[in-house]
Amino acid sequence: MILQAEGVTKRFSPRLSIGDRIAGALGAKVDRRAVHAVTDVSLSVTAGETLGLVGESGCGKSTLGRMLAGIMPPTEGRVMVAGAAPMKGRHKATTRIQTVFQDPFASLNPRMRIGDSIAEGPVTHGLTTRAEAPRMVAEWLARVGLDPAFATRFPHQFSGGQRQRVAIARALAMQPDVLVCDEPVASLDVSIQAQILNLFLDLRRDLGLTCLFISHDLSVVRHVSDRVAIMYLGRIVEAGSAAKVYASPRHPYTQGLLDSVPKLRLSIDDVANFKPIAGELPSPLSPPSGCAFHPRCPKATALCRAERPALTARDDGTLVACHRA
Amino acid sequence: MSLLEVRDLRTHFFTRAGVVKAVEGVSFSLAKGEILGLVGESGSGKSVTGFSLIGLVDPPGRIAGGSIRFEGRELVGLPAQEMRALRGKRIAMVFQDPAATLNPVLSIGQQMALAVRAHGRASEAAARDLAARTLTRVGIPDAAARLDAYPHEFSGGMRQRVAIATALLHGPDLIIADEPTTALDVSIQAQILAEMKSLAKETGTALVWISHDLATVSSLADRVLVMYAGRIVEAGAVGETLRAPRHPYTRGLLDSLPAMARPGEKLNQIPGTTPSLLSLPPGCPFAPRCPRADATCATDPPDVVTAGRLVRCHHPLEAS
Repeated sequence: MILQAEGVTKRFSPRLSIGDRIAGALGAKVDRRAVHAVTDVSLSVTAGETLGLVGESGCGKSTLGRMLAGIMPPTEGRVMVAGAAPMKGRHKATTRIQTVFQDPFASLNPRMRIGDSIAEGPVTHGLTTRAEAPRMVAEWLARVGLDPAFATRFPHQFSGGQRQRVAIARALAMQPDVLVCDEPVASLDVSIQAQILNLFLDLRRDLGLTCLFISHDLSVVRHVSDRVAIMYLGRIVEAGSAAKVYASPRHPYTQGLLDSVPKLRLSIDDVANFKPIAGELPSPLSPPSGCAFHPRCPKATALCRAERPALTARDDGTLVACHRA
Repeated sequence: MSLLEVRDLRTHFFTRAGVVKAVEGVSFSLAKGEILGLVGESGSGKSVTGFSLIGLVDPPGRIAGGSIRFEGRELVGLPAQEMRALRGKRIAMVFQDPAATLNPVLSIGQQMALAVRAHGRASEAAARDLAARTLTRVGIPDAAARLDAYPHEFSGGMRQRVAIATALLHGPDLIIADEPTTALDVSIQAQILAEMKSLAKETGTALVWISHDLATVSSLADRVLVMYAGRIVEAGAVGETLRAPRHPYTRGLLDSLPAMARPGEKLNQIPGTTPSLLSLPPGCPFAPRCPRADATCATDPPDVVTAGRLVRCHHPLEAS
């Protein structure tokens, strides 16, 4: 197990202003509810495997990714990367896991030449020397399909797709065992998205990378993942082999999500049938009782409203958290 | 007669760096009640085409040529006042980001009433009543009670429904929707798509649906226009065009979709990136990225229409 999470929970408590604290002390009503971003998530990823993490906005997939990557400590639970905790106190303490973020314009320092951005980490951590750095940068730029001469350019001189290549080169230059990709293609055009996905598949194969691939796009996740985990309101509701989950989803939320994705309709007879999930995501400030999906679920019963279903393994190995599946 | 006739539309932006020909020679027509999908990547000119139709191109951009006829009436060069009388009444628009289109300091009821009264007298009560009824039609429960809510109290999907309801207030003949579901989650997007489809059918409103997402367009539109670098490269009935595309760019776009490939297999990607509109290659703008390009592609490709399908290419793929 190269990447492991056990009972990981993240709550964001409101930081009360001094005024609110005084008001609270004097007996006024102050909203102290915490956002339950991630609740009791356990998962593991074996070496060389890609786990896809899917869910809609606010389901906690990015927060979970950040805890696994050692960017953010969990409120409860334990994360292990290659046998060690990725954080010491509030600081990241490992180089074995690296992240590629959605917006490469925000994640690259606009005042640094991209060659310096790529070299900074490896030099700091002694993975290479300052003298060796330019050669290493040139190698990585070539590897992600960019001209090594681009090392002296600034981020604004690149297109979105090229910037994402730089971000990938920077993450991989740290020689990580695990790569966390948080919506790496969400802001790219379709044709550029295909190029980056192809690059990702090549690098993963050549370097034997282990990946956590976070995305809201179900078809992208299906394309790159060996296993998938579907999240809803901070919890995993279904997890298993990508082929099985996509072919025969068991959780009503997974079913609804897959039905919601517009399919490419290739003939007139092929009538488009939208079967949208009713209602909207509940607030993570006050999650519903029992199963969090019950207010939107067509199969919900009294049991679903009262008792939260546990994530249990079914006969084919798929994990499902549902009383009715 | 078709509802909308666009002929050789050219919308250019006169910037300091040069003339950006965002839309260059776009022609199409739209019948009453028809849903037209306008597909392309960033910079293809799909949004500028939409903005041109409703007269919302801001300087340094302007319509440099061509004609837009709406029910036979020429819109290019129409005085601002007459355009304003049409806009919001006969032609309405829904934008991508409802948080930016709704006024944050007015309640939903107030801003919808403004839209009602912009095109004729109505009492406060009548305007609110119309607003509430329209909100109910787009699937907002308990609409009358929510008129006094402010945009920030609504979720993204609900805000987009308000924007759609505002567009529907006057029963327009044409709605231009610019990536209206792109910012929404899949489950909410599916709700909105289902509602738009049935609304268009019920009211006979024609719809220009601008999107980068082929799958969304394929499940909603009757016809599709594929744009590249300001031009239409292929147009036709949506199912046929996407099943058997004839322009290499349309083929490339489809092959770029993970849904079209087996999981884990390499996607048949289009090499290169979209060209800068300031320095387009001569002839076909797609030629530098095209696997079928040769020397003839340095000249402008002809518009060829066969069996209702328009293809602008020297070397189109075989019709199947």
